[in-house]
Amino acid sequence: MVDSDCENICMAAMAIADGYQPELSAERIEAHLADCSDCRREISQLQALSSLFATQQRLRRTEDVWNRIERELPDASASRSTARASYSFMVLGVLLLGYRLIELIPDRHFGFLFKLVPVLVVIAAFAYLRENPFKIDSDLRLEGVTR
Amino acid sequence: MDDHEAIERCRAGDNEAFRHVVERYQAEAIGHAIAILGNREDAMDAVQDAFIDAFKALDRLDLTRRFYPWFYVILRNRCYKLAEGRKNRDMGNVDEMQILAPTASLQPEDTNLLERAMLELPIEDRELITLRHLDGLSYQELAERLKVPPGTIMSRLYHARKLLRKKLVRYSFAGFSER
Repeated sequence: MVDSDCENICMAAMAIADGYQPELSAERIEAHLADCSDCRREISQLQALSSLFATQQRLRRTEDVWNRIERELPDASASRSTARASYSFMVLGVLLLGYRLIELIPDRHFGFLFKLVPVLVVIAAFAYLRENPFKIDSDLRLEGVTR
Repeated sequence: MDDHEAIERCRAGDNEAFRHVVERYQAEAIGHAIAILGNREDAMDAVQDAFIDAFKALDRLDLTRRFYPWFYVILRNRCYKLAEGRKNRDMGNVDEMQILAPTASLQPEDTNLLERAMLELPIEDRELITLRHLDGLSYQELAERLKVPPGTIMSRLYHARKLLRKKLVRYSFAGFSER
């Protein structure tokens, strides 16, 4: 047997022990192991490792990270509403451009109410975003400072 | 409050609801990050950043799937990025690592030796060993979590175990000897 065969056999035998069915058949593995003491020893050592871990448990951590995270969340929330606002303003831009194109059609008069459409669209957009377009934000914020 | 409800509330702008998610998974996340990074301080930074990344990406979470496996991918990316950045710094030390709980089956010195041997593994191997042996994930679950085929898990796990065994032999760990 060449070494790569031994390696494939050991790998497959350990996989079966772990509950996974490899491509190699159990019969072929057993036939190889019956003749190969090196593989039997190798598998026995690797299974000893599995047995060692079977008696171990992960240490339960008690650290609390919420205080560290909480400080950062308003920014995260703001970035989400910024993304929402960007999308809304993009839609608004497309609507106003469409309006302008319709308005450019020659010899067509849509009447006074049609001229109010852009104003109504803008008011609807700000109402949807719950934003006051006349608000002045005097708070100075440093963007990008996370810690 | 279950995960589904908490995440729906976060999406609706209730940041406090995220606290439930953090408190439910932080112990597991810190344990995983320490196992990957081998360093408590870096692990805490990675967990913090991963939760913030997750919060920002909650809109992309498919609510029919469980939170933690999705979050683990984010945490893992953060850990590997941190590990990449600290290549020129000292590796973690075994006193900071502490991934194993004290047990009656092993003396504290042996637990320490086992952790030391694990700390010497490449981080990919250490991650795989801990996910398989301490979390009991199946090959299929490992494949899904690490985004590789189960056959690759089989091969990588085999080589990781061989390497760990070699290190335990070098430390003359009871029950492990040269052929």
